[in-house]
Amino acid sequence: MAQTGWKAKRGRKAVAAAVFAVLGRGFVAAARLDERVRAEAASWPEDTVITLRIAPFGPQVSWRKREGVLEYLGGVQVTPSLAVIFKSVDGALPLLVGMKPVLGAFAEHRATVSGDLALAMSFVRCLHIVEGYLFPDLMTRRILPRPAERRAGHLVAYGTLVFRRARLEGASS
Amino acid sequence: MIPDYYEFCNSTKIVSGTRAIEHIGYELAALGASRPLVLTNAQLLELKVAAIVIDALADTEAEVAGVYDEIPVDSSAAVVDDVARVYRESGADAIVAVGGGSVLDTAKGAMIVLTHGGSLMEHRGAESLLGRRAVTFIAIPTTAGTGSEVTSAAVIKDTERHVKMGFTSLSLLPDVAILDPRLTVGLPPRLTASTAMDALTHAVESVSCVQANPLSDCYAKAAIGLIRDHLPAVLDDPRSTKARLALANAALMAGAAFSNAMVGIVHAMGHAAGGVAGVPHGEAMSVLLPHGMAYNLDVACDRYGELLLDLAGVETYAATPAADRGAAAIGAVRSMMAMLHERTGLPVTLGEMGVEPEQIPDIARAALDDGAMSMNPKQPSYEELIEILKGAL
Repeated sequence: MAQTGWKAKRGRKAVAAAVFAVLGRGFVAAARLDERVRAEAASWPEDTVITLRIAPFGPQVSWRKREGVLEYLGGVQVTPSLAVIFKSVDGALPLLVGMKPVLGAFAEHRATVSGDLALAMSFVRCLHIVEGYLFPDLMTRRILPRPAERRAGHLVAYGTLVFRRARLEGASS
Repeated sequence: MIPDYYEFCNSTKIVSGTRAIEHIGYELAALGASRPLVLTNAQLLELKVAAIVIDALADTEAEVAGVYDEIPVDSSAAVVDDVARVYRESGADAIVAVGGGSVLDTAKGAMIVLTHGGSLMEHRGAESLLGRRAVTFIAIPTTAGTGSEVTSAAVIKDTERHVKMGFTSLSLLPDVAILDPRLTVGLPPRLTASTAMDALTHAVESVSCVQANPLSDCYAKAAIGLIRDHLPAVLDDPRSTKARLALANAALMAGAAFSNAMVGIVHAMGHAAGGVAGVPHGEAMSVLLPHGMAYNLDVACDRYGELLLDLAGVETYAATPAADRGAAAIGAVRSMMAMLHERTGLPVTLGEMGVEPEQIPDIARAALDDGAMSMNPKQPSYEELIEILKGAL
């Protein structure tokens, strides 16, 4: 029984790692496609590193803003300026697979925040936009605060997942 | 309705009653502390309010390690770090905070620094501070509003960016909260009114926010009923210890409610108005509460409708059709504002508090970035916030 639970947990962590990989590149894709994400990221302090992590041992995903570029860092160990840490993989998964809204993670105490809460709010606004590109309307209607507005279609967004970096010049903030 | 998931914690011991402060020696001894550092501000010392606590401490086995009275109306990270330095240098083993929200929140900030080291700015976040607190903490409020004596939250101003930073952690909950009406009987009418409206806003927002739960609802509704019944009584007879104690309990209950259910758009806008334009917190809450409720009405109508019973009484509630109760609750808040404006001069617009139209965009931007906004039942856009704030101007 215990072994079955352990295996199931490992499976859930594998799913979370896969979602983090898509979300990590999806964030960069949204920054390349959408001026709202570029404006938010451009407002972050230089050398900002943001990490999403599942406690205690991961997986995790990070991004860095440096010299006008937003970069996907993958799952490498970094010292984040802002860390959103899920208390467990079970708490993270409903959000990661689009079953729960991002803010629901905080409402239900599923995640903690270490760092500037204003930066966290900006990051969450970006996640809402990113989810609009990654998830179909059937899902975004339930998890986003307002209907998704897209600057490009899902296929273009998924095609843009090949990139790891987005230039933030041209941001209007 | 029971939420899919919720958490509730209120571990603070409540000591409430006339002359309750005289038990402070016992409470310190029970906590194993004997050298408290008293935190307060110069005005409370001058008005001899803090003296009630210091005199009570003099008649105990405890030895006061010092009195720190340099806490401003809007505390800052620098003040917090300085308090932590004084605490270490004085050899204190407890903090007794005597004051309003600023003093109590400064104490909480200092506890973060004393427990986790470094500077307060290194510990920003929500629910991220783990481990047992290193400092014994007794909170003694001198206003009936913030509820900080039982909350896991602290608000400290970032004086460089002109924003108010929120900290939340269960380790911020005081060990003991002492409510003694002798500390609030001297509050002037306008401050009594604005702090009570702050408490009312805590209660109302806690019911409509996304972390609301059955336990926080109980505290919130009880608090609203106490405010409705006893705020006019305090204005009629400011020296009434019975009515003052009831208001202090209302503020405490509202604090316990919002500590476990959080606050939303009204506080986000109020923090922003405080940071950008220096608007006093309680007055900002009073002005912005009906505007925030009106914005949330389409998604929180039923929840506001429940509050009509506590805001306006059973006869009004029974006479109002169920579908109209949410809007009627907003009307009841506006009626209370009008009464307080007439009796105490409490402002009813942001303009009366010196907010200029050109400050509205900065306030809206800061409100969007305020952590309280994340718990509102509805997420406003920047443009919507501009409209709400203009409506309150």
